Amino acid sequence: MFLAQVVGHAVSSHSHPSLKGHKMMLCQALDPVLGLIGAPMVAIDLFGAGLHSTVMVSTDGLGARHIVHDHKSPVRNFIQGVVD
Amino acid sequence: MRVAHVIGRVTMSIQDPSFKGGRWLMVNPLDAGQFNDACGKAPSVTSQPTLVAYDNLGAGDGDIVGIVEGAEATAPFDFPIPIDAITVAIFDSLSYEPPLSKPSNRRTQ
Repeated sequence: MFLAQVVGHAVSSHSHPSLKGHKMMLCQALDPVLGLIGAPMVAIDLFGAGLHSTVMVSTDGLGARHIVHDHKSPVRNFIQGVVD
Repeated sequence: MRVAHVIGRVTMSIQDPSFKGGRWLMVNPLDAGQFNDACGKAPSVTSQPTLVAYDNLGAGDGDIVGIVEGAEATAPFDFPIPIDAITVAIFDSLSYEPPLSKPSNRRTQ
């Protein structure tokens, strides 16, 4: 789990079937003083996190497979919650 | 899932038997500044290490793909397979809009 900021979204018409119907947001990790670090990564969004909101992103594949209801899904990153 | 640019293919004549029929791509992860233009024109190769990823989607040279690394890469397979990177999406468009200021740690009312 890490803190990240939503910095955009990705659109894909050709993807693993388990990703169909899920919003894919670009999330960039935050450093301890809330600056953006590294390259953005793609996370599945369940909560409708808005652009520039601070979110908690999970890197747990097992949890992600539960979320997409597909035990053979390769998805790994998903937004767990929006940080107040 | 990281976003990467397909820059080549890998073919092997001697390989693990479970790889039979697999396609392999050389993919170079994108830097943050390349996201907006990546799907329009081919991005330049970044200094990030290039990966070899298993491809199930039919991605080709120049495509922008999402790759998953680690144990999850083997999840789509019914049999044990020793891979640790797989393509899971071919992107049509990416929208990258970094904020102009740092996020506040308290939501404004």
